[in-house]
Amino acid sequence: MTHAFAVDRALVVIAFKRRLAYKSGWIFGLALGGGSMLISMAMWQNLLGGGSLNGYDWSSMRAYTIIGFVAATMVFGAADFQIADRILDGHIAVDMTKPVDFQRARAAEYVGSMISTAPTAALGVLGAWLLFDPPGPVTPMAGLLTALCFVLLFPLAFGITYLSVLVCFWTKRYMGIMWLREALLSFFSGLMIPLAFMPGWLQAAAWALPFPHFTTTPAAIYLGRVDTAGALGLIAAEAAWVVGLWYAGRLVFRFAVRKVTVHGG
Amino acid sequence: MADALSIKRSVPVRHASGIYWRALAAHIRSVIEYPADLWIMASAGAVWNVLQFAFLAVLFANIPNIEGWGFHEMLMLSGLLSVAGGANALCFDGAWNTGSMVIKGDIDYRITRPAPVILQVGSSHIGLQSFGELALGFAMLVYGWIGAGVGMAWIPVGALAIVSAALIQTALVTALCAVNFWIKSPMSIFAFLLIQLQGGAMKLPLGVFPAAVRIVSLFIVPVAFINVVPVAVLTGHMNAWWLVGTPVAAVAAVALAAGVYRLGLRAYDSAGH
Repeated sequence: MTHAFAVDRALVVIAFKRRLAYKSGWIFGLALGGGSMLISMAMWQNLLGGGSLNGYDWSSMRAYTIIGFVAATMVFGAADFQIADRILDGHIAVDMTKPVDFQRARAAEYVGSMISTAPTAALGVLGAWLLFDPPGPVTPMAGLLTALCFVLLFPLAFGITYLSVLVCFWTKRYMGIMWLREALLSFFSGLMIPLAFMPGWLQAAAWALPFPHFTTTPAAIYLGRVDTAGALGLIAAEAAWVVGLWYAGRLVFRFAVRKVTVHGG
Repeated sequence: MADALSIKRSVPVRHASGIYWRALAAHIRSVIEYPADLWIMASAGAVWNVLQFAFLAVLFANIPNIEGWGFHEMLMLSGLLSVAGGANALCFDGAWNTGSMVIKGDIDYRITRPAPVILQVGSSHIGLQSFGELALGFAMLVYGWIGAGVGMAWIPVGALAIVSAALIQTALVTALCAVNFWIKSPMSIFAFLLIQLQGGAMKLPLGVFPAAVRIVSLFIVPVAFINVVPVAVLTGHMNAWWLVGTPVAAVAAVALAAGVYRLGLRAYDSAGH
């Protein structure tokens, strides 16, 4: 293992352990995510009843809602504030003296914090499975590709979060940036309402963004709304966003870092 | 802390009110110094409401109603909830700092000043998203009001609903933030849970939910009186007598917040320096 990978692994482990140390966070995440999932289930059960809307019946909507819960738990439970705080409190000046790449180090920490949401996600899915008995993946291959889709969510979530956090170079607070990002992600990912319900122009706008890969893509693959070739195409698009956002982050950072002012003391 | 509390009781209401508004005005002057933050936060509040509108528009393009509630009635629900949240963020956002103030011992300074601690803490911060929330929330409420055919004669009831909603929202959030006097955490987890779950559930008619949720939201944590009950009365989904519960819930929630904060101050022990 090269030195760089050893550093990455160490940062992942540290971030993972740091998050697991606060066990109240698990309960909080479960209450928050689980509560939102139950509200969504209540609404869709009422709306769908025994019928279907835009290709979603109550059975498929149960699976869709649970997939949305897992994605939301992973993304909204990650440690984005720690990256923002390093910029806002000036810690980044120290980071820049270290022999590690800033973006790569933050990516490792972010992924570590995302992994720490696994107990919350697992417990929530188990509870939802017992309560709602959703359908399984349409084929074993669809299940496998859905899992691959979720694996790519780690770097994709980091890419979007990192780009938005870099705005902190120009602001004094991070809260508004986070809300903007989460609002856009909730709507355009299909978490609030499936993209299939939207008019064509809004669907096109959503698919021009990276957000649909957080819920719509894994749900479409899982439920068999796309065949294997279509699923691979969606995963390729997701992977392309991962690469594009990584380099966009590098580009913006190179420009933004000029704003850093180190005050002596 | 008993001595400090007795000082607070002797503070005249006019004096306390004056301090509150001056603290809030001073904070507004300070936030204007950072225009990037101001615009980003205000935009966040506005975008969130635009997306709520979009959600309802998309949903009602596919269905005729939810439990008998139409598009404009649902807009009124979302609008009134946003106005309540925006009023809370504009007038009493500092309550969210209670936890960190307890941990850092910052409450010490507030106790020694001749003004109620709860007002000093509440006016210590302004949620800049409130500008967007209030503007877009009010626009949704008015648009829904007109679209739902609620007459002009109901405007006094609407005004009462807005004032009561702001009071209940602010009081419940403040009471839950005051829990941090005992649990010692910088983050107000319970208040955050309340607004997140309320933001999801209270934008839907109560009929969607099981009886237990309805009972809790009406009689235990009276979030339904913030938006669901007033809008249901205005649009004829509930008997007008239910409207009596709105100011009653507001008074009860304010009393609860003041009581919990007072108990919290008694339990407060300084972090020490």
